[in-house]
Amino acid sequence: MPTPFARMTGLFKTYNLGGATIQALNGVDMDIEAGSFSVIMGPSGSGKSTLLHLLGGLDRPTNGRIEVGAQMLDKLDENALAIYRRKTVGFIFQSFNLLPTMTAVDNVALPMRFARVSRRERHEQALKLLDKVGLADRAYHKPTQLSGGQQQRVAVARSLANDPQLILADEPTGNLDLSSGASIMRLLSELHKSGRTVVVVTHDARMTRYATQTVHIIDGQVVTEAEYEAVLASLDEEMGEEEEEQ
Amino acid sequence: MTFAELLSTVFENLGRRKGRVTLTAMGVVIGTASVVVLVSLGIGLQRSTTEQMGAIGSLTQIQVYPGSGDSGPGMVVMKSAGGGSVSVSNVPSDQKLLTDVALRELAELPGVTAVIPQEYAQGGGMFSFEGLEGWGNTVGIGVKDMSVLGLTAEAGTLELSHGTAVIGHYVPRNFFDPRQRMGQEQPEPPDLLGKQLTQTLEKWTDDGSGGGESTRKMLQFRVVGIIAESGGEYDYSIHIPLADVTAINEWALGRRISRAKEGYSSAIVQVADVNQALDITAQITEMGYQAYTPQQFIQGLNSVFLIIQAVFGGIGAISLLVAAIGIANTMTMAILERTREIGLLKAIGATNQDVLSIFLGEAAGIGFIGGLGGVLIGWLGGQIINVLLMAYMVGQATEGGGPPPSMTIYTPLWLSVFSLVFATLVGLLSGLYPAMRAATLVPVTALKYE
Ligand SMILES: Nc1ncnc2c1ncn2[C@@H]1O[C@H](COP(=O)(O)OP(=O)(O)O)[C@@H](O)[C@H]1O
Ligand SMILES: [Mg+2]
Repeated sequence: MPTPFARMTGLFKTYNLGGATIQALNGVDMDIEAGSFSVIMGPSGSGKSTLLHLLGGLDRPTNGRIEVGAQMLDKLDENALAIYRRKTVGFIFQSFNLLPTMTAVDNVALPMRFARVSRRERHEQALKLLDKVGLADRAYHKPTQLSGGQQQRVAVARSLANDPQLILADEPTGNLDLSSGASIMRLLSELHKSGRTVVVVTHDARMTRYATQTVHIIDGQVVTEAEYEAVLASLDEEMGEEEEEQ
Repeated sequence: MTFAELLSTVFENLGRRKGRVTLTAMGVVIGTASVVVLVSLGIGLQRSTTEQMGAIGSLTQIQVYPGSGDSGPGMVVMKSAGGGSVSVSNVPSDQKLLTDVALRELAELPGVTAVIPQEYAQGGGMFSFEGLEGWGNTVGIGVKDMSVLGLTAEAGTLELSHGTAVIGHYVPRNFFDPRQRMGQEQPEPPDLLGKQLTQTLEKWTDDGSGGGESTRKMLQFRVVGIIAESGGEYDYSIHIPLADVTAINEWALGRRISRAKEGYSSAIVQVADVNQALDITAQITEMGYQAYTPQQFIQGLNSVFLIIQAVFGGIGAISLLVAAIGIANTMTMAILERTREIGLLKAIGATNQDVLSIFLGEAAGIGFIGGLGGVLIGWLGGQIINVLLMAYMVGQATEGGGPPPSMTIYTPLWLSVFSLVFATLVGLLSGLYPAMRAATLVPVTALKYE
């Protein structure tokens, strides 16, 4: 069996909140094949975002190893990690994170600024990417002049700016209405089909339609689908009991 | 990021927050402007003073006096005729006198082009000319042609010969009419060229019991030349050949003077190169004489002005310091407000150094913009003060009748450049801490910041 594109082994992430320690990740092992579409599902607070942040090099694990391509993320220094984020990863956030004072095309071009792409080339490339997500006619709009779905499409275009192999999306449809959400899902699926490796964290079961792998997380640990359903069922029961008590 | 990329990013970011940037830069404007105005004032003071001082004496001349040794004092008593006063000077046995041999020794120092002995006439009295009376030092100059001293003639010649005198520019102004009463208009200064001046010498013969008898002698000089205004002592003196002064002094002392034994009371050492003057002065002092060059004075004055400028600059710098605190505050606020932006920049691949450069650049940019405004306003302010000051002083001068004094604020280019660089550095330094905090933020923490 060939080594996967990304491999996470024994990942722990501990947060200290005023004396109390929170185990956000509790020994996660996970492989992501090159060119796969992975969907990570789990209840709120189960550690999905934490996992995605570690994979995207936005934070460092308390313990464990992350291997992407030939790079050991936990061994990289600050500079190398920044370059990993720049070249290998495109990150899509639930809250879009566009810079409000910049136009759509400038937002899309921003990552290329740090990749030493010339101003003109950046601009042309950003226009192409906006066209690709169907927003060519909104290139010179500010984020506030765009709908949520359009803003997220700008964010998708931005994630592609430096042509990364790995696209990470953290609840990209979480702030969107159903149809906008569906169009973002289709976009992500297209990216997958064009050969990129896509990892999406979501609550939305519709996303699993596009997935080549679905991973379930509960309390910072990867569980099987059966276990996951069981836990969800028991959670529902608890909720029901609480309601009855009231 | 390339430097050009950084610059455009920085100015883009500053442009996004014009109001805040302008307010913060205002502090720097005031600080820089006060540095520029105050230091310009100091420089202006120095310039006008040095200009007037250039006049004190030629920078290539060294005044040499006999050295005052420090042991075995002997006494030489000189009887001055004028007021009957007796001046006593200590003459140590090992005193270095300015004898002819000594003058030759001085002349042999490398860099010395001429040594000219000088002697003041003793018992000098009033001058008279066609009913007018005047005063002035009578100085014997040991050189045939006074142009050796770097002087030029305004009228007539600078060549001295027996019975003639070359007078300073302001000497005619010192002649007045003794019969005139207070408040009456004095006559125009007389034209003395080619005219005969009479000097009345007077000496007091001491009879040993406090009483005495005064003897007078009349002396005649023909004025053959007037020296163009030099700004120095020459302007007020009447110059005659050294031998004539020796004759006067021998009469005043009532004995013969041996220059070989007693020497001259002073000498002017002329050097070829301005830059050697201080060195040669030191050498002459080493030899045991007293030697002075206007350069020593200028040096002393320059250090005084340096202190004045430092104090003025310091006062300005304090206002810049206040501005620096303003920049630091604005940058800290900006970094709090833009924490999520910093997180995003890092998430899309900005390195710590990129973030550091951007925020340092913005802080330096505020300093630069403020500095530019400050230099401009400071320079303009200086010009306005100059105009007002000149108008005021010209008014004062015409009332008093003298020439208008030159006291102007002067802003040299280096001061503008220095102030601009300094303001930029102040901005950079005040941004250092906030920018470092921004750069080392963990991307996720920054992105989650509310
Ligand atoms: N910066 C933090 N400090 C303290 N606790 C945190 C921090 N980030 C996340 N957590 C905690 O870690 C756990 C996992 O969080 P997260 O990965 O965001 O969950 P999810 O994305 O699955 O909803 C939660 O209990 C959350 O409260
Ligand atoms: Mg989350």
